[in-house]
Amino acid sequence: MTSIRKDLAAVSRREFLKASGLSAGGLIVGVSLPVSLLGSAASTEFQPNAFVYIAKSGDTTIWCGRCEMGQGISTALPAAVADELEADWARVSVLQGDANKKFGPQATGGSNSINQMLEPMRKAGAAGREMLVAAAAQTWNLPVDKCYAKLHVVYNHVDDRSLPYGDLVELAAELTAPEDPVLKTSDQFRYIGKPLQRHDQADMVVGQRVYGADSKVPGVKYAAISHVPVLGGTVKSFDKAAAMEVPGVVDVVLIPRFENAYGSVGGVAVVADNTWTAQQGLTKLNIEFEAGENGSYNTTEYKKQLVKNVEVPATKEFEKGALEQAFELAAVRHKATYVGGHLSHSPMEPMASLVWVQDDKCEIWASTQDPAGIQKTIGAYLDRKPEDITVHVMASGGAFGRKFKCDYVQEAAACSKAVGAPVQLTWSREEDTQTGYYHSCSAQHIEASVDADGKVTGWLHRAAFPAIGSTFNPAVVQPTAGDLDAVSKHPYGIENMQVESGMAKAHTRIGWYRAVYAIFYGFAINVFTDELAHAAGVDTVQFLRNIYDNNKVAEQQEQAKRCRGVLDKAAEMADWGKKLPANQGMGIAVHHSFHSYVAMVVHVETNGDDITVKRVDCAVDCGLVLNPDIATAQMEGAIIMGVGLALNTEISFEDGAVVNSNFHDYPVLHIGDAPAEMNISFINQGVSPTGLGEPGVPTLAPALANAVYAANGKRHRSIPINPA
Amino acid sequence: MSYTITINGQVHKTDVNGDMPLLWFLRDTLELTGTKYGCGIGLCGSCTVHIDGNAMRSCLMTVKASNGKKVTTIEGLSKDGSHPLQIAWLSNNVSQCGYCQPGQIMTAADLLAKNPDPSMEEITTALEDNICRCGTYKRIGLAVADAAKQMKGA
Ligand code: FES
Ligand code: FES
Repeated sequence: MTSIRKDLAAVSRREFLKASGLSAGGLIVGVSLPVSLLGSAASTEFQPNAFVYIAKSGDTTIWCGRCEMGQGISTALPAAVADELEADWARVSVLQGDANKKFGPQATGGSNSINQMLEPMRKAGAAGREMLVAAAAQTWNLPVDKCYAKLHVVYNHVDDRSLPYGDLVELAAELTAPEDPVLKTSDQFRYIGKPLQRHDQADMVVGQRVYGADSKVPGVKYAAISHVPVLGGTVKSFDKAAAMEVPGVVDVVLIPRFENAYGSVGGVAVVADNTWTAQQGLTKLNIEFEAGENGSYNTTEYKKQLVKNVEVPATKEFEKGALEQAFELAAVRHKATYVGGHLSHSPMEPMASLVWVQDDKCEIWASTQDPAGIQKTIGAYLDRKPEDITVHVMASGGAFGRKFKCDYVQEAAACSKAVGAPVQLTWSREEDTQTGYYHSCSAQHIEASVDADGKVTGWLHRAAFPAIGSTFNPAVVQPTAGDLDAVSKHPYGIENMQVESGMAKAHTRIGWYRAVYAIFYGFAINVFTDELAHAAGVDTVQFLRNIYDNNKVAEQQEQAKRCRGVLDKAAEMADWGKKLPANQGMGIAVHHSFHSYVAMVVHVETNGDDITVKRVDCAVDCGLVLNPDIATAQMEGAIIMGVGLALNTEISFEDGAVVNSNFHDYPVLHIGDAPAEMNISFINQGVSPTGLGEPGVPTLAPALANAVYAANGKRHRSIPINPA
Repeated sequence: MSYTITINGQVHKTDVNGDMPLLWFLRDTLELTGTKYGCGIGLCGSCTVHIDGNAMRSCLMTVKASNGKKVTTIEGLSKDGSHPLQIAWLSNNVSQCGYCQPGQIMTAADLLAKNPDPSMEEITTALEDNICRCGTYKRIGLAVADAAKQMKGA
């Protein structure tokens, strides 16, 4: 341990980052440091907890336990630590923590990193600061409350002495860490709430940022893979000898399906001296597959069936009030059905990892959202204890929920085991597109009533979609009450409600895609609300205001108020109601998801079936914003992804297999189709921070569809509107 | 068969299979991993490098075809990250995951070398086939315009 710590202190920031990120042929330095160095008389550095390390030089390292995939978490959280530590950000290096319980929960999804980890990490920084201040007080023989820290130096109120942090680390390391350090008040924040530059961008623009796909160790071999195209299918035959004839091919590895939600669907991998040779080997294999029970999955037919399933009574999961009576007394009644397709995450970095299985250890370098998930899955696969699996968390070239699963890691482990060498496996884009954990396709049917006063009195909502639970348990064949919670608890506060679940057996793996079910719930609810407003003859913004103001449900009061807040703000930003030229229109949507609130106004121009998004105005209430610039970037990204899924992207299946293969037939948004103008405002209501990575996605598609209706009178109830 | 390619000013002689795309030669053989794989068929631009001064997709360019040519990758665009585009990328906080950005920057560098004063429309056209799944397009446009301004002033 000591020698690693000495190395750490000795090497410069960049060298260390390189060493731990594994540059070409580089030295491997683990970053597992002791949780505490309490009472170590010989220590020349200070590490009060898992997150903070200060060398005698004063150079400071802060670990981020959550996974970085572009969302900026490895800047936002360490900056909060540095703030409490009163550290000078210029002297802080950030390191990504390996899989280790000492970092707390590391699974990065559900937009919960900041709301779960902010307080523990602030405390980690504050504890360090209190110990440094106590060390200075002891040195000066002054009461602690006469001493204070500021930017890497401790001062006192009595005389003009000061001590830099580096000079205090030895003494501080001998002190006991405070259990409950005092946190700053918001007026004392130095970095929290400021647009601090991200720590990792400089490496990105010179090509030095090391992603999972870039990991190297000496002796590395490279693999490519072809997967079983139909879920539950098998490999019938393949021509191993033909592939082995390609010069440079090392081995052909049959990978059976690993019956684990995070494991491989099965396939054949070729291991070679480089990725291209492995890909060449694959083309020679001439693999034949057996399709199995999902071999007739066809999404065109399947979606039609889902529509049928929601247009007749289904399984009642939630009920309140007297819906039928509300419908009978209605002044206005309306019903409609909404449909959405499967989506693929398609991060720019396809699934990739480097795995080295040895007799006594297993070391992994992977882009991942769930380091502990890798330890568990690979542990189960190799029949070893999870803690015996070392996982280096590499930068992810995007993830969006896909890299929660680690099938690509398990496959690399299978290859490494077979050839007895470290293996870097990189999926082709085609495999990435065709072997996903897809966002559910869906159908939803809504019927509602409005009374003579314009109040929404009844709401029947039926949803059918293959649920994520089916990936873990094939007996799940329809959405559960929990899956439907977001509808049952939608903050409209409608008195008479019924929520039903329609049959939807899954025929492919279903996963978490950025914003998950909120994408189709947000779409159906917001487009339907717009339709209802038109049916009632009320402007949609006013109609929504009335809904929130009429909400009398006690436990929804805060939600209704905050929805109303973002609604008003977005409407004001967009100058809602202003006169627009012909063929232009504005649409609005409001959605509460991941504990945050978003309202968006989309302004479109239509020309026949062509839709151009001219402008998006977006108001967000996610409580305290840690870094407004990174937060804005998250919303910009969500808008771009939202436009893509509203207009173009859909994964289709025929004969059980995905039809799409690459970016020509899964056309994610290009720069030319990005909205010319995006305005994003955060309403900071001073409450604790809530999710931000996902909640920007659900409002875009419905606001866009409503805008198209305003522009040309065409009502779109199905996304994508113009599939490729 | 042996090939000679000058990469970032350094002469490399190699006898790898000439049909290998330059992309994989860079990434796996030379371990220059700044050039990224995104699609392998010329659709995404992540693998963009300069060949004899022109932005090209290294996934579509074989080692054979690169023989005798001068290749610049993101690692060689500047010695120390001081290309005006690299600076503008930082001052505009463009990158999210950053994976597409080497390709974006190499494409933009080619544009600015040939058109020092591009309009926003010309910028968008030049970068139309460089995909960014994180959705950093707005900032990419601003950063290129910024860099162009800097280069003119210099
Ligand atoms: S990898 Fe070459 S264009 Fe996509
Ligand atoms: S920054 Fe992630 S793909 Fe562009």
